Amino acid sequence: MSESSHKSVLALQPRTPALPGIALAVGLHGAVFGAALFLPQLFDRTPPLRKPIIARMVALGRPRDPRLLPRKESPPPPAPASAPAPGPLAPLAAPAAPRVPGKGPAQPAQKHAPTRQELMQRALARASGRASAEPSKEEPDPERAGAATGSAQGSAASAEEGDAYFTAVHDAILENYVVPSVISERERLFLSASVLAWIGRDGQILKHAFQKKSGNDFFDQALDLAVQRTRLPPPPADLAQSLRDTGVVLNFRP
Amino acid sequence: MMILLALLLAADRPAIDLSGGRVQAYPLAVARPLGAQEVSVAVESVLSQDFERSGLFKLLDPASFLAPASEGLARIDYFKWQAVGAQGLVKVSCDAPGAATEGRGNGEVKCDLRLYDVAHGQELLHGNYSAPRASLRQIAHRFGDDVVRFFTHEPAVFQTRIAYVRETEAGKQIIAADWDGANPQPLTGASINLLPAWTPDGKSIAFTSFRDGGGAHIYTVDAATRQVRPLVLMGDFATGAAWAPDGLRFLFSASLEDNTDVYLSQADGSAGRRLTDARGIDISAAWSPDGKRVAFVSERAGTPQIFTMSADGADVRRLTFQGNYNQEPAWSPKGDLIAFSGRDEHRTFDLYTVAVEGGKVTRLTQNSGTNEKPSWAPNGRYLLFSSTRGGKRQLWVMQPDGSNQRAVTSERLGASDPAWGPLLPAK
Repeated sequence: MSESSHKSVLALQPRTPALPGIALAVGLHGAVFGAALFLPQLFDRTPPLRKPIIARMVALGRPRDPRLLPRKESPPPPAPASAPAPGPLAPLAAPAAPRVPGKGPAQPAQKHAPTRQELMQRALARASGRASAEPSKEEPDPERAGAATGSAQGSAASAEEGDAYFTAVHDAILENYVVPSVISERERLFLSASVLAWIGRDGQILKHAFQKKSGNDFFDQALDLAVQRTRLPPPPADLAQSLRDTGVVLNFRP
Repeated sequence: MMILLALLLAADRPAIDLSGGRVQAYPLAVARPLGAQEVSVAVESVLSQDFERSGLFKLLDPASFLAPASEGLARIDYFKWQAVGAQGLVKVSCDAPGAATEGRGNGEVKCDLRLYDVAHGQELLHGNYSAPRASLRQIAHRFGDDVVRFFTHEPAVFQTRIAYVRETEAGKQIIAADWDGANPQPLTGASINLLPAWTPDGKSIAFTSFRDGGGAHIYTVDAATRQVRPLVLMGDFATGAAWAPDGLRFLFSASLEDNTDVYLSQADGSAGRRLTDARGIDISAAWSPDGKRVAFVSERAGTPQIFTMSADGADVRRLTFQGNYNQEPAWSPKGDLIAFSGRDEHRTFDLYTVAVEGGKVTRLTQNSGTNEKPSWAPNGRYLLFSSTRGGKRQLWVMQPDGSNQRAVTSERLGASDPAWGPLLPAK
């Protein structure tokens, strides 16, 4: 009989070295973390617009002679009561049915105060170098799609709902965003802070936390108050889950 | 796996950039004063006025306070102050030992003044101050300065002094007063005295005067002793002294042989040297805060406009191109702006600032009388100026964006030519 045949089954087996196993585990974990960090960049996903572009329209009026000393900027006149501006919390309007030329009852031409929309269109026309007191006589493209509340200079048929929602979030927080005047102008130049906010399906800010504090207690306190006081509209269905689970980052600068 | 999930979620988190928050005054409650009411109320009143005028604080209406008047200095019910919207709370308690025996004499007043952070429920500042009863206002100004310095990390101006010209039946006299117009003290008699300018150490004031009957010339008056001595007696007239930040030199304008130019002189009035030599008038020189450049008014372009030049008269640059009558430049302590008065198309003088870099002109006053003679606070947070908006010309103060305009003087016949004094070293 061979020697091995006499070995007891209770005898210790020679150990497998642990080091390769540990190295393999570390390597695998590293690969998984690396994939988590870098793979998202490889996907060709167009992120939704998350940085609303705020445009300050130049007031409609007669250009001032540049040789004269300036006037103080005056607030814009109130919008006509007949044309209430759509607030950020208003639901997105359904596109109006296109009007077919020559069909339907002819509307009598009525003189009316220009609506805010018309004023904006005229201002945009001026800004683009096509100044004209009257709307363009050019026949509109009957195939052109858009929204009843869109701009004559618009370049898309519709806006993404997500864009509108993030703009609404921006505007609502900005309403409550107050910078204490006790912070000197010099210090304001360097302040920045990030707040992470989770938004519920009903639009309530469920919780918020500083990702990065500014270093100025009064500024941070003001941001805290701004987020606490903000009331948001319910997010659209496609954003509700992510806003509740992962939240949105609010980057504040004075 | 949880970390992995968190990383993946974080990578996909949307971000919104927010800037342009409204700059708003800090809600501050000044509690009902404690201690000896007569002195405590006086200190609280001056302190509240300082805070109100500063534009930094929004003082809450005492009628809305929920905390009982008996609430002490240290045992604060922060919840009640939060409920009325306060973020900061000031408590004042003064005592005047010996007041009962000395009546309203000039005994020593001791005050305990405190600032609290209502949101965090903690004391931020605590000061014990004492002063003779006649200097009660100084206690309030000192604590006010401490509070502003605590918040802004910049020097405050409540203890600074201003100088101006008071109109009297007999003429115009130079006055020195507290920053809020209180405690006015005449430094000169009432011949025709104009254009006061503080020395950087705050000890004396140069001014233009017709006091000797031989035309306008420049004199100085010691702010403590009121002793007047001549400084520049050259030319047909000499006017508009402006001290260099180092106090070793001063600028002025003088007319020699029918030509008015800007001159630079040593502090004692010696070694005057002409800096400009253009046709027409060069006048109203003002130093940049670093003492390297000078702003002045010149007619060399046909109408009075603001120019700058280096302190040796070289490198002349025109700064204003709008309007046809711009005058009285005052360089901001931060160096970025020059305030001036300009005549608009309605032939009204109003105040403007022009950016030293870029030349952008911003209007500060409008539709409120004639506004002239801007003078910067030494911390750059305010502009003192004269205005006829109330009928008689008086001094007003505002913030450099034109906001928070408030009356400073209420002289019977009027006040003009303001000059804000320097920051004085802390005592």
